[in-house]
Amino acid sequence: MSNEIQLWPFAVYTLSVFLIVAIMVILSHFLGQRHKEKETGEAYESGIMTTGTARLRISPQFYVIAMFFLIFDLEAVFIITWAIAFKEVGWVGYLGILVFIGILLVVLLYEWRIGALDYAVSGKKIVKKFKQLNKEVI
Amino acid sequence: MTATDFFSLMPLIIIATAAVIVMILIAVKRNHSVVAGVSLAAFALAFLSLFRITAVTPHTLPPLLIIDNYALFYMGLIFAASFAVTLLSYNYLKSYNFNLEEYYILLLLAALGASTLAISQHFVSIFLGLEILSVSLYALIAYVRTWERNLEAGLKYLILAAQSSAFLLFGMALVYASLGSMNINDMAQLLSGANLGPLALIGFALMIVGIGFKLAVVPFHLWTPDVYHGAPAPVTAFIATVSKGGVFALLLRFFVAIDIYNYESLVIAFSVIAIASMIFGNVLALLQNNVKRILAYSSIAHLGYLLVAFLSGNNLSVDAATLYLTAYAITIMGAFSIVSLLSGKEQESDKLEDYRGLFWRRPVLSAVFTAMMFSLAGIPLTAGFIGKYFILSAGVHSAKWLLVIVLVLTSVIGLFYYLRIVVAMYSAPTDDMPSQPGISRSVSFSGVLVLAGLTILLVWFGVFPQGFISLIQNMVSSLQDVYLSMIV
Amino acid sequence: MISIPMEFGLILAGTLFVLGLIGLMVRRNIIFVLMSIEIMINAAGAAFIFAGAKWGEPDGQIMFLFILAMSAAEVAVGLGLILQIYHKFQTLDGDTVSKMRG
Repeated sequence: MSNEIQLWPFAVYTLSVFLIVAIMVILSHFLGQRHKEKETGEAYESGIMTTGTARLRISPQFYVIAMFFLIFDLEAVFIITWAIAFKEVGWVGYLGILVFIGILLVVLLYEWRIGALDYAVSGKKIVKKFKQLNKEVI
Repeated sequence: MTATDFFSLMPLIIIATAAVIVMILIAVKRNHSVVAGVSLAAFALAFLSLFRITAVTPHTLPPLLIIDNYALFYMGLIFAASFAVTLLSYNYLKSYNFNLEEYYILLLLAALGASTLAISQHFVSIFLGLEILSVSLYALIAYVRTWERNLEAGLKYLILAAQSSAFLLFGMALVYASLGSMNINDMAQLLSGANLGPLALIGFALMIVGIGFKLAVVPFHLWTPDVYHGAPAPVTAFIATVSKGGVFALLLRFFVAIDIYNYESLVIAFSVIAIASMIFGNVLALLQNNVKRILAYSSIAHLGYLLVAFLSGNNLSVDAATLYLTAYAITIMGAFSIVSLLSGKEQESDKLEDYRGLFWRRPVLSAVFTAMMFSLAGIPLTAGFIGKYFILSAGVHSAKWLLVIVLVLTSVIGLFYYLRIVVAMYSAPTDDMPSQPGISRSVSFSGVLVLAGLTILLVWFGVFPQGFISLIQNMVSSLQDVYLSMIV
Repeated sequence: MISIPMEFGLILAGTLFVLGLIGLMVRRNIIFVLMSIEIMINAAGAAFIFAGAKWGEPDGQIMFLFILAMSAAEVAVGLGLILQIYHKFQTLDGDTVSKMRG
């Protein structure tokens, strides 16, 4: 019976893993040396001093890019699934994937046109605005 | 895929293509009127294409889809309602100055999802249809994102709908694990009166939780008042008609196919849900002071009535349920049209106070609103009365006395709050009332069109119901024929 | 080849599902609520794979692909909504956002 495999070696193995890790941590806790001078917590010699917290505010644009990645990344799953069944699905499948990729292209076009793909404010726009402001001043 | 396959899927293809075309249009140049026009044309075309398809029904696209007259009827309901919602939304959104065009993509996609539900006979297509519908709705509900309560409603709907999808999926997985098929017909044959195993029973229970959330029946109704209240009025109309109609079409097909009446436990579960929905919906509606919230609670009660029709389990039940749903869709669409037409920018006229003395300022609108309230209450000469009559006769026919008695008693409670709105409209206006900007706005041509159409339908349905009844019986009887022939 | 009985898999999926449900009810932060829902949906996906393996069909895995795609769409809309909510309320606490009562 396949269900009656010997489980005890696995249990012994798991236990011994935990045991060894525990011994390593506990022994080094008691045997290792510790010091607490002024410079202990600082970065090593030529390292860079830390500034501020690690919890930075990230621009919302990064989230937008992340969402696009998430969605387009998953579309690849369907294309690969089609590729696996390429022979079986034949021309109908080809037509289907063509429509699918066509829709993706339209979505890409749409995202590009509404400016969702701009990482930052474009330089041209800044220059244009600057010139406009200059004119108003004059 | 044969040519007939493509032909029978024509309405879905039209709607999907329209969504892509709208996207291209936005990429080229934004224009609110053009986009709204394309969406209207798409809904009209899809609706008209249904008449051509009657030539090839019932047509099965194994294993996922089935296109029969029953599905065509529900798709017609969905497209007609979406058409009306599009007209209302055009009117409603005009005054806002952010990007409006994406709204119509979402509307088209949501209608696509709902009509997929109507033709599904497989878990995969049910899941896809449901998710296309609800993901579009998340964005639609939160569309006017400058309002705080709009975002709140969107978030609440997102969390509860996603959670209910998880329940539904887990239930589907358990049913699949126990039966070995995801196709409704195969399931019907595998079950065919046999006892449900524990796995399948838990699976069905979880699926009921998931579907119950989408239909907003007690005890899964908690999202309804907040979402109805917070969403823009046309979107609320869409949820009340299209979203619920699609899900109910699916539920009806599923349970007729597996012949739910053989399973005592499922019938009892649904009876409890129906009774709780009728009682809680009507009683809680009494406590509200906001028209949208009153209509939200009343929608819970109406779903309870619908379940009564469907639980009576005789050959009348599918007819009665469909008839009632149609009458309800016409009525609730009319009621929310008026709320939406009376709303000004940034503020909707949804408090009961806003309607006090409305008759003296807007007599025609008040008369139409009164007709809608009478229909919801089930007063004769309106569509709601015919619907309720059929439900009662279905219930009496199969001697479900408890359900019938609760239905009658709660309908009486329902009269109170519908009449409360009506009384508020006809009471004398006072001078020191805060004036609502939207109340005095003149109604645009598209608004008049929607209201006139709905009012004519409502009264026609109520006074000469014979045509509607025979149409519905013709279309819907196919459901029972299809599945009975399969079982025999 | 040792095959694991389906019940073990379903128990795992059920445990994950319940954990997600608990997270959904206990957490107040909207991001964590979304994460809990993802856990629930993926637990259902895992259950589909175990069921498909029991019947020796690819259907369960196909369903999982659709579940993946749909949950990605859901997360995308959810994150968009969360950005707007943070913009408006300056907080991600679910109770602060919830104002409508009754």
